[in-house]
Amino acid sequence: MKNNGMSETSNRNSEYALQGISFFYIGLLIILPVLAITVEAFRGGVSNLWQNIVQPQAYHALILTFTIAVMMTIMNMITGTMTAWVLVRYHFPLKNLINAMIDLPFAIPTVVTGVMLVLLYGQQGFIGRFLEGHGIQIIFEKPGIMLALLYVSFPFVVRTVQPVLLEMEPDMEEAARTLGAAPSRIFIRIVLPTLIPAIITGAALSFARAMGEFGSIAIVAGNIPYKTQVASVYIYGELESNNPQGAMGLSVVLLLCSLFILVFLNIIKNKNHEYKKLF
Amino acid sequence: MKCKLIMCMIVLIISSCGVKKNDPDKNEVVLTLGAYTVPKEVYHKELIPDFQKYWLGKKGQYVKFEESYMASGAQSRAIAAGFEADVAALSLEKDIEHLVEKGLITHNWKKRAFNGFVTRSVVVIGFREGNPKQIQDWIDLADKKISVLYPSPKTSGGAMWDICAIYGAGLKESEKKHGKKDYGYARELLKSIQKNVRVMDKSGRASVTTFENGMGDALVTYENEAILRIKSGRPMAYIIPDATILIENPIAVIDKHTDKHENRNVAEAFVEFVLSRESQITFARYGFRPADDECAKEFVTQYPVPEQLFDIGYLGGWDKVNQMLFGPDGVWSVLISELANEK
Repeated sequence: MKNNGMSETSNRNSEYALQGISFFYIGLLIILPVLAITVEAFRGGVSNLWQNIVQPQAYHALILTFTIAVMMTIMNMITGTMTAWVLVRYHFPLKNLINAMIDLPFAIPTVVTGVMLVLLYGQQGFIGRFLEGHGIQIIFEKPGIMLALLYVSFPFVVRTVQPVLLEMEPDMEEAARTLGAAPSRIFIRIVLPTLIPAIITGAALSFARAMGEFGSIAIVAGNIPYKTQVASVYIYGELESNNPQGAMGLSVVLLLCSLFILVFLNIIKNKNHEYKKLF
Repeated sequence: MKCKLIMCMIVLIISSCGVKKNDPDKNEVVLTLGAYTVPKEVYHKELIPDFQKYWLGKKGQYVKFEESYMASGAQSRAIAAGFEADVAALSLEKDIEHLVEKGLITHNWKKRAFNGFVTRSVVVIGFREGNPKQIQDWIDLADKKISVLYPSPKTSGGAMWDICAIYGAGLKESEKKHGKKDYGYARELLKSIQKNVRVMDKSGRASVTTFENGMGDALVTYENEAILRIKSGRPMAYIIPDATILIENPIAVIDKHTDKHENRNVAEAFVEFVLSRESQITFARYGFRPADDECAKEFVTQYPVPEQLFDIGYLGGWDKVNQMLFGPDGVWSVLISELANEK
């Protein structure tokens, strides 16, 4: 008896220790740096911070980043769902290999992604030369930024939708089919509502990724202010030209955006069923 | 168990941030060089080995070098933030001044041979082999059909020199024609060239690489950078415009760090060494113009002095230029927003 009690307290102690270490680690590694930049950003006062955000060049960079990120996210929602569907519902040769390739964008350093795109779509590239002949330029222009973002964020939607599709019970779909529903109707009324939370999760993650992406864009974008300069590259430029306060404005906006997305995702996870009701 | 493991990790982390100090008993001294990227080849392959040989012969002591090469502004900030370089060789005077402001350099660094500058160069216009677009001078870059490259002045000291060269050349030209500086004309020249700039890379190096990847008809860059690329067999050529800016790159011993490392004598000797005639000739072989006027005379065929060469003083010095061109209401900052609204 006594022995048992001892081990229980020591078990509990080690549980507390484990929790303590985890919290300490998360605090030190993740929360502290975020706090540091927040304090630094507000040190010059709120109005100063606001001035740095609405400063025309910064504001343009932010709007460009948002616009491209939204377009890219929509694109990802469609192509990502489609890819997941194909991977789960069909059998074809080399399926495992193709499935493994999906994660490649995560494994490649994003600077290398930039270099690869320049090699292919740049003026001396295989595709770039062809497009150039038709008056289309991708690298150093907005389509290049879009392409880089599509590349680096492709796996998100696929990887969130895929497990949901795998776990989906086929009985609802079968029932609908026997009742004579058309395949498109089955997809929209039965499959899609189940997938929506997963699609939104993937989309939100790709959006957050797009807002902060730097490595590939620094290579692929022309970085002309008001034209092809995105928020992260603008921030880098301000830091490099010894204007950390100028960089703080957009940093805080990007930070808040990501924070908002993460909170939003948690809400989705908790209220999963309510989203299904919408359809 | 877990606690021990964590303790071990903490001890490891702390011990890896140890402090360097030179041991006088040991026959070796460590010297840390914080430099900008452009002269990397000449320091690493020539001047450092030369100096090591010289010091070993003179004092019988081996100098172990720790070298860091970064963009000039980034290097200056790294040193200010705690990177303990003993000698700073940077691209821009203002980056050395930054270290003076931070209290790391306490002596008057300009009170040395050649006013504290170690190398010179000029801003040139690079183009494709054979000059297919017939580029002769700055005004040709203002042509609508030409696409031009130079890096972003936000991240590259080189780009600041480039923009100063164009703006100053505009002033020089108006002065030659009408007898006085026409700031409006210089602004128009800069604006019409900026309009043709399609990519603004992070650094001068990156800009040359973009050019070599096929982008752009013309590239505004340092003479030494162009020479280096041509030497390594890349298909490009350049001209020195009649009116262009004289680039001067500073070098300085960092008092606070040499005091801490107790290696001031070596640091001083190294700076004197790179300013010596011998080293100046080495620089000249690598595409830099010597800071030593006597030495420069010997290389005048290789490095002709442009007719209307001007230095940063012609534009009023760096403090004024930073405000007049690159400040929030500066010429360059304003014209770039005008260009955005025009399209």
